[in-house]
This record gives sequence, structure tokens and C-alpha cells, in this order.
Amino acid sequence: MNSFDNEKCANCPAHNLTNLVKLGIDMSNFDFVVALAGNPNTGKSTVFNSLTGLRQHTGNWPGKTVGRAEGGFIYSNKRFKIVDLPGTYSLLSTSTDEEIARDFILFGQPDVTVIVIDATRLERNLNLALQVLEITDRAVLCLNLIDEAKRHKIKIDDRNLSKVLGIPVIPTAARQGVGIQELLKSIYDVASGSYICKPYRISSDIKGVNKAVEEINRMLKQKFPNLPNTRWIALRLLEGDQRIIDAVRSGEIAELIH
Amino acid sequence: MNDNLIVVILLLAISILAFIFYPEKGLLNKWRRIKANNEKILLEDALKHLFECEYNSTDCTLISISGFLSTSQGHSSKIIVKLEEMGLVKRIGTKIHLTPEGKSYALKIIRIHRLWEKHLADNTSIREEEWHILAELEEHKLTDDEVNRLAAKLGNPLKDPHGDPIPTENVEIPEQKGIELTDLKEGDIAKIYHIEDQPLEVFSKLTSLGLSPGMIIRLIEKNTTNIRIECEGEELNISPILSFNIQVVPIGDSEELIESRDTLSNIPVGEEAVIVGLSKSLRGQQRRRLLDFGIVPGTVIKARLKSLSGDPTAYEVRGTTVALRKNQSDKIFIKRKNLL
Amino acid sequence: MKIETIHDNSIIATANKLRWEVGDYFHDSLIESIYKEAEVISNKVVTTEGKKSQFDFDKFIDQIVTNKWTGFPIMFLLLASVFWITIIGANYPSGLIASVLVDTIHPFLKNLASSINIPWYINGVLIDGGYLAMAWVVSVMLPPMAIFFPMFTLLEDFGYLPRVAFNMDNIYRRVGAHGKQALTMTMGFGCNAAGVIAARIIDSPRERLIAIITNNFSLCNGRWPTQILIATIFIGNLVPPIYGGIASAAAVVSVALLGIFFSLVVSWSLSKTVLKGEASAFSLELPPYRPPRILQTLYTSLIDRTLFVLWRAIVFAIPAGIVIWLVANVNIQGISLAEYFIRFVDPFALFIGLNGVIILAYVIAIPANEIVIPTVLMLTVLVTGVTGVGSGSGVMFELNNIDDVSMLLKAGGWTTLTGINLMLFSLLHNPCSTTIFTIYKETKSWKWTLLATLLPIMMGITICLLVAQLWRIFT
Repeated sequence: MNSFDNEKCANCPAHNLTNLVKLGIDMSNFDFVVALAGNPNTGKSTVFNSLTGLRQHTGNWPGKTVGRAEGGFIYSNKRFKIVDLPGTYSLLSTSTDEEIARDFILFGQPDVTVIVIDATRLERNLNLALQVLEITDRAVLCLNLIDEAKRHKIKIDDRNLSKVLGIPVIPTAARQGVGIQELLKSIYDVASGSYICKPYRISSDIKGVNKAVEEINRMLKQKFPNLPNTRWIALRLLEGDQRIIDAVRSGEIAELIH
Repeated sequence: MNDNLIVVILLLAISILAFIFYPEKGLLNKWRRIKANNEKILLEDALKHLFECEYNSTDCTLISISGFLSTSQGHSSKIIVKLEEMGLVKRIGTKIHLTPEGKSYALKIIRIHRLWEKHLADNTSIREEEWHILAELEEHKLTDDEVNRLAAKLGNPLKDPHGDPIPTENVEIPEQKGIELTDLKEGDIAKIYHIEDQPLEVFSKLTSLGLSPGMIIRLIEKNTTNIRIECEGEELNISPILSFNIQVVPIGDSEELIESRDTLSNIPVGEEAVIVGLSKSLRGQQRRRLLDFGIVPGTVIKARLKSLSGDPTAYEVRGTTVALRKNQSDKIFIKRKNLL
Repeated sequence: MKIETIHDNSIIATANKLRWEVGDYFHDSLIESIYKEAEVISNKVVTTEGKKSQFDFDKFIDQIVTNKWTGFPIMFLLLASVFWITIIGANYPSGLIASVLVDTIHPFLKNLASSINIPWYINGVLIDGGYLAMAWVVSVMLPPMAIFFPMFTLLEDFGYLPRVAFNMDNIYRRVGAHGKQALTMTMGFGCNAAGVIAARIIDSPRERLIAIITNNFSLCNGRWPTQILIATIFIGNLVPPIYGGIASAAAVVSVALLGIFFSLVVSWSLSKTVLKGEASAFSLELPPYRPPRILQTLYTSLIDRTLFVLWRAIVFAIPAGIVIWLVANVNIQGISLAEYFIRFVDPFALFIGLNGVIILAYVIAIPANEIVIPTVLMLTVLVTGVTGVGSGSGVMFELNNIDDVSMLLKAGGWTTLTGINLMLFSLLHNPCSTTIFTIYKETKSWKWTLLATLLPIMMGITICLLVAQLWRIFT
């Protein structure tokens, strides 16, 4: 359990050290941990490379980054560890990749999750982005391939998007190195607590299950009054997600509050 | 020379005997274990049959059990005696009932069976006809731990691919709630869950129509003198008197309820359509992947181009291009744009 | 703030009860509602200026590359030119590296060793064995891979390769595989280990396993020289000299096509038998075309693919070189281990239309197909006792003059049947140890690794046996 949890301290890292160690992350020389999530084929690895200076082959197809790439960078005298999660379309299905990504964000509680999305396919990519925002409070949206969007005459109002999603939105063209400095600054701002995210949460009715969700939600709120997104937990329980069931049963879920 | 021969023969004899009688790994022991296993399978199958009877509110007799197990009645009654000794069944007259312990044992077997069917349907390319047979074998093999892990992996499903409920880890199963056939509305789809066998004339008339529990029916038309239903491709007329003997369970989420029968594979390149639903035969990973691509009801989809050989076809959906094989697009129901 | 562990499971119990009311298909509705909100947000912030650009570049290319008439020729031309450039372009640098590593440094090391009085056996094991095998592998493997992989990666970066998968999927669907297998197979023509790694692009477990297990049926870069050499000697000589080149080229192409045929047949039977129970889901996204980045591609494909595979090959080649030297030089009662083995397997090897030398060469040259021919030549000299060729026992060598090779092999008792069967056996034998190791790394399963290893060699022995029998009937 994280020792910083006791007092609300704006500059303190929020990650869950115990769980990170369980997930095989060595944090001994780092102040913050950053997770990189995104659909396959959005230039996620390019963003990873631009941030770390590492060169990882960026493929055009899903599944290129198998296993987990880790790297590090220093910004404003803070040492950041960055973990490239497998590219996935969703966090709800049961494939191993999605489980790895989900468990890392939810249980590892990175200080920042950078969601890399393809600016030319915002709608499709938002599917994953919204799911990530369900399970974390600290995220930055990296609106990558903005140059390609420009070529296709697609304009995205990133300020408005940032307002709607409640997190920083940074347009980048990682191939050309455009926007990387701004991205680094946003990562720092969110990690250090100087930018407080108010993440967008899915609220629309889901056909025929609202009553059930509400009922479980009420019970969860009673039991875990500090849990940020009980509605999402309720949805997972209704889907029979074993990892979440176990976490609720053992009370582990309560530790995910900061 | 002769002595050597004797030594060889002796050694051979010893090894053959060892092969047969060796503890644990010997042939005899193996055979015993196979027999014990068979015995276990028969016991478990008998329990399962008894449970099915009780669940469908019919009576189980020695005759039906030996029919189910395909053994002699003598053997069956031995099995029942054994089960009674184990405290799993109780006999009242000719009727045989499950004790609470027997019921939960049976439910455990059914749980494995249905989970395995779900696993085969979701995660493998094994054909529908083989699911049941393979599950029949698997249900006697898996340990409690393995079963729970399997369930977790499948997302703790509620129903097997046939729509039957899967008992939970705590061996609970929802009560069947049947309604009378006459209570259905026109167009409703339901599963026959019980056919009352009294009075006998009515029962035999119904069975001669080919109706039996488990069949899916659709009510086409009903009035005071006649009820017309569709059952396995046939239309049947049933008089209201007969219909009181049929109990059904309405199926809410059947794909038959999707109004459109037009599928994505029918639209030509360049045309747009709106998705109205996905067939239930798209299962497991396959279904989830399509959903992740944004192929959900209400989505506009456009056929973009056909591949060199005609199958797969690439579709534009939510700004991306996704190739689907014909056997996938056949199972995605759509409404044409111009018809909206 | 540590909350005590909660043993009350009422929430779970309620959830489980409610699940029965909600039903199994609510995952669909959940995704549906997420997408609905995504659509609302997207409509709020995205504006497309004017009409979507007048000319849809992607659509234009797509229509050409998937067209019934132009699609196939384009695919064939592109892939063929990639291979052609690889083969032609690799010649010169290969020779250069060989002249440095084999012809210059090797003698230099030998001289150095003898000048400081290193015992001959250490000198033999390390320099003639380990070093030479490594030198050989580097000089034969590096240039083609350094040319092939970047070109392949450029096509991939541009977005063309997914279209190949799209076009070929129909065939692969029929054999229970994925269209992307066309790509891993093509990659296998460069290097099987790289092809096996490339199978990661297939995200359905069953189809991925099929692609991995059948990749060895792609005639890899290390086997082309064997094919060309043997075809020139044994097939080209069957026809008048002017047609010799064409006949031997046709023979090599036929073997490669036979490999494709086998990969399809094996895919089909795997999907119908052992892999029936594995999960399968088809998905293929066609990404937009993007201008490829030449420099970055060169860099990454060199690091990620070429050097990665080369390193694995070297790691296996050095010990193999040592073993090769040892079997030729360790003598028991005046006869080397190699000769014992060759004599032992000769009856069986001749029965299936090969010979003991070939079998031994394939056993000890398992790290890389590239060193099969040098090993064969060395062993032939050892067995026949021909003098005047080679550089000593246990030292691999190659001959520049093809007539010399022909003469040497014929002195070793080779016939046209041996030639044909060697070509077949070179196609159908166990993958090299680098590939086997890679298969294990990728599948994490001994079962599949073993299957991928044993299946082709079983097929090879069977096919060679059949051909030998037919040959004996008809000649």
C-alpha cells in the first residue's frame, strides 16, 4: 500500500507501488510511472520512441509490440518511467493483451496514462479512450497523426475536446517530433498534480440494465465510500469479470483510492 | 544353451507378470481404474438424468434411467441402490428423487457440461454437432478448481450456447418459469419446456405432432378456435384445448426478433447501410472483436471494395477500413439506407 | 488508508443474482452505448473542411491493387522484384564479406595461432571450427537480409502488405488459415526465424500457430544457394547446354512452389486436426496508405530484424562449427567420427535416395542452412579421400568453379536422384536451430515446437523415399 495515500499531497506520486512491483515494474530509480495506451496502428510506439529516445520498430499492424516495452526520461528534474502497454481496441474483452493493459492501469495506478489516438479516426479511437477514463483519474490524450488529419482536411477542436474529456489534449505528429515538448509538459503537470483531471465518465443508459447497475452501485458506494467510479465496477460485476469480482471480494478495490 | 533359454523365458515371464500386476502402472490396475471410471460415469449420468426430470417436472423411473444410460434394468437398479447408499437419492414407491446432496452433485456435473459447451462454442472451431458429445466426456473429468478457472476465463457466463442456464459456483440454478402457450402474443418466440402427460390422449396427440420439450416455437396467429405456431420450419395448428398442456418459456433476446433479414453481405460496393444487429451465432472472441471495431446496432457501414477473389470485402466503419469475410458479413443484419 | 479486508460478499451475491435478470448479451449494449457517446463527442469537436478532398488517393490505389486484372500482376511483380533485388544485390557484398572474413582474416588467425604455438587442436576447434562457421553465416546471411528486410518493411510501412493479405485471404480461409499468412510466408522466403516472429501480426491463436508451424515450408534465403547449385549441376546437365540455365531455374522455382503447396496442405490438415480446438477469430484492418520513412525503416529493420536474427544465428553457429570440426578430426582407431556415422546411416540414406554425407551434414549444420553445402563438400573430401581440394579435414570450404563441385560430388557417388532428393530434402527438413528456438520463444510450447520440427522432416523422408522408389521403377 502506498505510503503517500495518507495525506492529500499535490506533488506526491499516486502510483500503487505494491501492485507495480507485482506487475514486474522496478521503480527504484523513478519518481513517476507513465503508462502508454492506445489502439494498434496509431503510432503509439513512435510516441514512445520520441519520449524515450529508444527506437522500437513501429508496425502497421496490431500485435507488433508483443510483451511490454519500458523506458525512461527526465523532465524538469523528475525521473519518469514509461511503460508501453499492448495496443488494444478495448479494455473490456477477454484477450490477454487487453487484460494486461487493463490490470496495469487499474491496479498499477500509473501517475499518468497517456492515451495515444489517431486524429483521423477520432470516433473509433474514443472507444478505448473513454474506457481508459473509466478506470483512471489521471490521463493525457495524445492526439497523434495530426499532420495526416490536416492532409485529409479534418479539423479537431482540441480545446473543446479537452474540456469535454476533462484531461489535457495535446495534438502531436510524433513522426516529425511535433508536439512532443507539450506532451512532456502535460505529463509532468498531471503527474505532479498541478493539473487536476476531471475525467469524462460514461453515463448514458445501457439498454435494460440500469436498475441492476443502480442497485449494485448503491451497495458499492455504501461499502467503499471513496471509490471514484463505482458505476464502472458495478458494470464489471454484472459482466462477471473475475479479476474485479476477486478485488471486490478481498477488499483490494478499496486500496485504489487516493 | 538350454539354460540360457530358460533364463530368457523366466525373465520374459516375470516382465509380463510385472506389466500386468505392477501397482499403479500395471495393466490390471489400469483396467480397474477404467472400470471404476465407467462406474463413476454411470453414477453421474444417472444423477444428471434424475435432475433433468425434476427440472422439467416429469417423473423418473427405473425404465427411463436404464434407457438414458443404455444399460439393463438390473444394472440400473444396482446403480440406484449405490446412489441411495451414498445418500444422493431417495426412493418413494416407484418414484426416485434426488436428495439435496444429490441435487448439488448433479448440478456440478451440469455446470461442467454447459461451461464446456460454451467454451467449445466461443473459443474453438469445433462444429455445433460435436459440442454435446465432447462435453459429455469432459463433464466427468474436470476438477472443481479447473472448472472455476474455466468459468472465469469465459467471463462467468450465465447460459450455454443452447440457451440453458449454467449453474453457478455455489450450484444454484434459476427456477424455470413457464407460461402457457396461450399466454404468448402473436410473433412471440418461446421454448417448449414442458408437455403435460395427463390426459394421455392429449399428450399423445401433441407428441404425434412432433412437439417435444426444448423445441423453439414462434406463435404466428391465435384466435378462439385455433393456434397456429411455427416449429422447426413447419407450421402446426393446435386447438386451444390441446394447447393448455404445453408450457413454454419466452425467449427475449433471440436473434429471430431482429426484424431485418437483410445482411451486410448483400450490399454492393459503394452502398451504405445501417447495422441493426449481430447474429447470435457470432460468438466469443469473434463477436467481441466486431463490437470493438464499432460494428454495433445503429452504426453506418459502407462497402468499400472487394478483394481480388471476391471474399473478404472491406467495409468503412467509423472512419476505419475493416475487412470481413462473407461468413461474418452473412451474420450481420442491416437496413439499407434508402429504405430508412 | 488501509481498509480492513471485507469478508461480506453481499455485493457479489447481489450482482450474481442480478446477472440472471440482465442476461448474457449486455456486453453488446455496453459497447453500443460507449460508441454512442464517442459519436456525440466526435461530432462536437471534429469538422471536415469543405468536401472531403477531391481525389481519394487511398481509394484510387486500393482499386488498382485489388482489381481482378491488375491486382495479381502488381503483387507478383512487387514481390518478385524484392527477391530479384535481394539475390542480385547480395552477391557483391557477400563476396566482399567472405573475402575479408574467410579469405583474409581466417589465414591471418591461423598464422597468428601457429606463430604463438597454440596446439593444433585448439587452433582447429576455435579457428577452423567456431570462427569459420561464424564467418560463413555472417557473410551469407547478412547481405540478403540487410536488403530484403528493409524493402519488405517499406512495403509494410506504406500500407501495401495488408492489401496482399486482403487479396490472398480467400485461399487461406479455405485451408483454415489467415490471409496474413501470405505475408509471414513471404517473410519466410527471406528467413524462417523472421517469418515466425512476423506471425505476431496474426492475432487469432489458431491461425497464428498454423502460420508458425508451416513457415518452414518457405524456402529460406539460406537454402536458395543449395537449390541453385544442385539444380545447375544435376538438372541443368540433363538438357542441352543452352537450355541448362532455364531448366535449372525452373527446377528451383518448382521446388519453391512445391513448398507453397505443402504449406497450404499442411495448414489445411492442421486446422482440421490438432488445431481444431484452438481459438479462431478473423480480423483484418486495412490501414490508410502512408508515405514510408526511408531512413527510419532502414535503421529499424536493420536493428530489429536483421541483426536480431543474425545474432541468434551466430550464437548457434559457433558451437556447431566446433562440432563439425570435431566430428571430422576425432579419430577412433584411425577413423573419424564422421566416417563412423556416415557408414552407419549410409544404407538407410541410400535407400531413400540420399547419402550418409547429406544426412550428417544436415545433422551437424542444424544452426544454419547456409553452411550445409560447405559441410557437404568437406565431408565428401573426407570420405572419398580426394586430394587437392579443400583446406584440411574439418575445415568447411566452397569452390568457385562449379565443375569442380560437380566432379567432387560425382566422385562421392552422387547421381541425378541424389541431386533431386537433396533439393527436396533441403525444402522438407527440420527448421534450423535458430528457427526452432524462435518457434519456442513465440509459442512458449514444447508441443508445437516439436511438431513444427518433426513434421517437415517426416515429410522429407517420406517424399524422398517415394521419389527414390519411383526413380528406381522408371530407370
